[in-house]
Amino acid sequence: MSDIEHRTMLKRRAIGFAAGIGAALLVIGGYLFFLQVVRGVEFRTRASSVSRREIPIPAQRGKIFDRTYEHVLVTNRPAFSVDIVPGEVPAGELPDLLERLASHLGVEPPRLAERVPRHMRHLFRSIELKRNVEFATIAALAEQIDSFPGVAWRSEPARDYGAIGSLAHVTGYVGDVTREELQVLFNEGYTAGDVVGKSGVEKRYESVLRGRDGIGHRTVDVHERAVTDVWQTAVAPQPGSDIVLTIDTRLQRAVEVALGPRIGSAVVLRPATGEILAMVSYPWFDPQTFIGDGGPAAFSMAASDSSFPFVNRAIRAAYAPASVFKILMMTALLEERVYSPFRSVVCRGRFAYGDRIFRDWVKEGHGRIDMDDALAQSCDIYFYQAGLALGINNIAGYSVTFGLGAPTGVDLPGETAGSVPTPAWKLRERGTNWVGGDTVNLSIGQGYITVTPLQIANLIAMIVNDGDIFRPHVVKEIRDGTTGEILEKTEHELLHSSDIGDATFRAVREAMRLVITDGTAAPVITTDAVTVAGKTGTGEVGYDDRWHAWFAAYGPHDAADPADQIVVVTMVEAVNEWEWWAAKAANLIFHAAFSGQTVKEAVDYLKPWYGDAVFNPLRPEDEEDAEDEEDAESAGTEGGESE
Amino acid sequence: MRSAASTSNRSSNAGIVGSGLGALLRAVDPFLLLPSLALLGMGILFVYSSGVDSAGISVSNEWIKQIVWASTGLVLMVVFAAINHQRFKTRTPYIFLAALALLVLTLMFGRQVNGARSWLGIGELGIQPSEFVKIATILFLAAYLSEIGNGITELPRFALGLLVVAAPVGLIVLQPDMGTALIYCPIFLTMALMAGARIRHLLFVTLLGLLTLVFAAIPAMQTLLATREPGIWRLVTDAGVARYTLAVLALVAALAALGRRRYRYGYFYWILFGSILLGLALAGGLAMSTVLKEYQIMRLVIFVNPWVDPRGAGWNIIQSVTAVGSGGLSGTGYLQGTQSHLRYLPQQSTDFIFSILAEESGFLGGALVLVLFAVILGRGLVIMYAARDSFATLVAAGVVAMILFHALVNIGMAMGVLPITGIPLMLVSYGGSSLWTAMVGIGLLMNVGIARVQGRSSPGWFQGRALRGAKRLTRRKA
Repeated sequence: MSDIEHRTMLKRRAIGFAAGIGAALLVIGGYLFFLQVVRGVEFRTRASSVSRREIPIPAQRGKIFDRTYEHVLVTNRPAFSVDIVPGEVPAGELPDLLERLASHLGVEPPRLAERVPRHMRHLFRSIELKRNVEFATIAALAEQIDSFPGVAWRSEPARDYGAIGSLAHVTGYVGDVTREELQVLFNEGYTAGDVVGKSGVEKRYESVLRGRDGIGHRTVDVHERAVTDVWQTAVAPQPGSDIVLTIDTRLQRAVEVALGPRIGSAVVLRPATGEILAMVSYPWFDPQTFIGDGGPAAFSMAASDSSFPFVNRAIRAAYAPASVFKILMMTALLEERVYSPFRSVVCRGRFAYGDRIFRDWVKEGHGRIDMDDALAQSCDIYFYQAGLALGINNIAGYSVTFGLGAPTGVDLPGETAGSVPTPAWKLRERGTNWVGGDTVNLSIGQGYITVTPLQIANLIAMIVNDGDIFRPHVVKEIRDGTTGEILEKTEHELLHSSDIGDATFRAVREAMRLVITDGTAAPVITTDAVTVAGKTGTGEVGYDDRWHAWFAAYGPHDAADPADQIVVVTMVEAVNEWEWWAAKAANLIFHAAFSGQTVKEAVDYLKPWYGDAVFNPLRPEDEEDAEDEEDAESAGTEGGESE
Repeated sequence: MRSAASTSNRSSNAGIVGSGLGALLRAVDPFLLLPSLALLGMGILFVYSSGVDSAGISVSNEWIKQIVWASTGLVLMVVFAAINHQRFKTRTPYIFLAALALLVLTLMFGRQVNGARSWLGIGELGIQPSEFVKIATILFLAAYLSEIGNGITELPRFALGLLVVAAPVGLIVLQPDMGTALIYCPIFLTMALMAGARIRHLLFVTLLGLLTLVFAAIPAMQTLLATREPGIWRLVTDAGVARYTLAVLALVAALAALGRRRYRYGYFYWILFGSILLGLALAGGLAMSTVLKEYQIMRLVIFVNPWVDPRGAGWNIIQSVTAVGSGGLSGTGYLQGTQSHLRYLPQQSTDFIFSILAEESGFLGGALVLVLFAVILGRGLVIMYAARDSFATLVAAGVVAMILFHALVNIGMAMGVLPITGIPLMLVSYGGSSLWTAMVGIGLLMNVGIARVQGRSSPGWFQGRALRGAKRLTRRKA
């Protein structure tokens, strides 16, 4: 190759190479433009999402008030969760720090240590050490925060039930959402660790109370170390709405005291509206003990209690109504004109039907007795015959009219419908035919029929209302959590309506009044504050000396304004010692409701009638009037007499 | 001063041409100096930025070290610009051997950094010999290629040149530093191209290198990406089947060689060419896939799809591309890049300096870097073409290739279009060895540039301009 040729070759190749370099740089520049300018937004989003961390800001759960909207029953208590960022702890100091922290928080040191596994000890990620830490503990910790590097706390409000007492069955309780619940609730935005209502109003009105969690965010580096200390609020949390119950706390307390430590339940209903003024089921549970460290233990203890404290017996337990059922029987007899009210029957204490002898509860019998007296004295023989005359279909039909065998639609979860037996029902459930003896039994509310105390309250409400039953409810209104503005008022909804004549109801009411003045309840309904009308019931459940005790009543009997009337149903189970307590409890309830006295005064006033009977212990607030709350002065002077 | 400089123009064989500032001034080429200074400045700015943590506090003194290296590098550049390059030519074998010895020492006593035994030094002070060896290799190759002249067109001489490069490459692969080793290949190819090597030889080497990498990566890629290729791929991926493929290729090659001897048809040559190429690449690839470490194979795989392991091997590439992409047109602002300051970006001051630069200064900054490199490379090519002798030409070609391929591979890596190799961006990335190597290379370019006009007696650019200006002035006065 000559020198000239060499120069030509070099020139060609140099130009080619230069073109190659130019092309390569252009391609790179073009691709750079594509990445940065054309796709820039996409990468910027990716860059910020990589370094953005979000946490939910818990929304305040709505509070629960009594019917006055002055007395708060369930609220939120400031509680904190203590976190640690292990990466911020100087190397090697972590075990010692955890030990000191454990004594502060009152936990076993190994329990803290196991929350910070070895492989996480270099991370700048926040790990929750303990929940539900009291403010006082946090305050003490804050004073020495310099000796606890990497330790921080977050506000995480806890539910506060205070001294909720028997209202626990109405309000219910909250707990961490379980895996099973999460399956259902996931689409509504629940995540593991969220709190959810488990029973009562907390469960039924979960969506109202819950509110909506907000979102906070901050930027972190690759080690999860926060670049900015504060969480910025991206979406503000929406507090849940408050709930105002129909419950009258003073009356609730009176019912609680009146029922005493006896397994059973009591309902006070306002028949004109369906509002439940009081609802007690004994025993109850204390949801406050489920919160905090001992929570799981307290819960499982309550759950394994053989007296079933979680069961709200007023709506969840169904019993034979016993003689209370005779109210319904009388209504049917009058309305169907099967028996004239003046027709009398001779009661000899026994009634033979088929090959069975049915007995009266008075061994020697009541003698000649008409309809009013039959109800007042609760004569079984009269109603055996009347029931046969009415026929099973009539009895079952009237039972349905009165709302038995169907849920009352009360706004509490877990209600049971009870059952109203019919020949078809018996054949289906028991596989045997309906016999006349079944009708005889049903006539005095025994046998296959079961009802809840709330259903009985509804039955009385229909008598009082001349044929109307309003859906019973415990929530009066829903109010905005911050402004208090009423968002929703519970409508008074007609649940059942019958075309039974007003004259029939009037006659039944007079007969029920006779029960109090001359009948079975005369010795125990001693209150002079109100005219009571009602019916006792004594259910056979297999014991020789103990019975289910019912008392279903209303008052005032002669009210000018139906809105003043209340229905009281008490039910004491046969497992308790026999005291015939249902009517005695109702006596105190009526007196407390109408006398204008405080619970303590009412107890003291009626005391001569009760002897040594045991009430639930009184509390200071039992000496306060619902309307004008007096200061605690009188409580101090007269406390102690709490029988 | 000027008189001292002009007196020194006499001898063309003197060691350092003249003395004093004049000689240095003459040596300096502003088309090389100014873009280099600009790149150094940007480098220092973003090395500083990479040392700022998420709280906005500078936690690294790398930028101070970089300033020290840049200043000393400038001195080195001027010195290498001023030395008569003819003096190197005879000494290149010694320089080259010394460089190889240094590599051997590194292998024996070197310090391991990032998995490669590539550091030689005492305590904090240390160098990466593999960087400086690039210059030594360029000088020795230039001497060899200019010595053999047209002989390069013969296959044995071409192959011998390849062997020269294979020595440092082999030693560096042993460290193991695949990226640095690979950069020697395009340097050799460029120099051989300019020396007049046959295109088919260059093509063979280029294709052989690329195909070997492909064959090495395919088996791992298929398992990791879970792609099902048609069965025919098993001919080259399944070691058992590939044996027969190799045998068939050997047979084809033998037949083609025979045919070529007998009939001398052109296409027999290309059949031979193709079958040997494929055979060697296949054998090399299979050998490599067993020799290469898993992480090295992974780098090839994640280059195809970084999302197979986004938090592991794919992390760097994803974070880097995200950083570059989020820069937009004008960048997030100096010290405002989130990917870099929140430490999502690894190796920010060295391998991924371009990512932080592109994030914070945007397309405008990135394009400026490209333009500055284009100016240096363009000037380098002009100097190469204008050089008086072929040694000078080839030295210039080598330096241009070195700077070019570092830039291409590094920026390509930062943008995710080339596999991660850990090659620095010359003049910009943090690191004394790389910086000095680049400055020495640019010094050599200047050196060749001065020599081109009238041997060693040409005035430097500044001086020439000044002289011409003075002459014009005197003419006007006259």
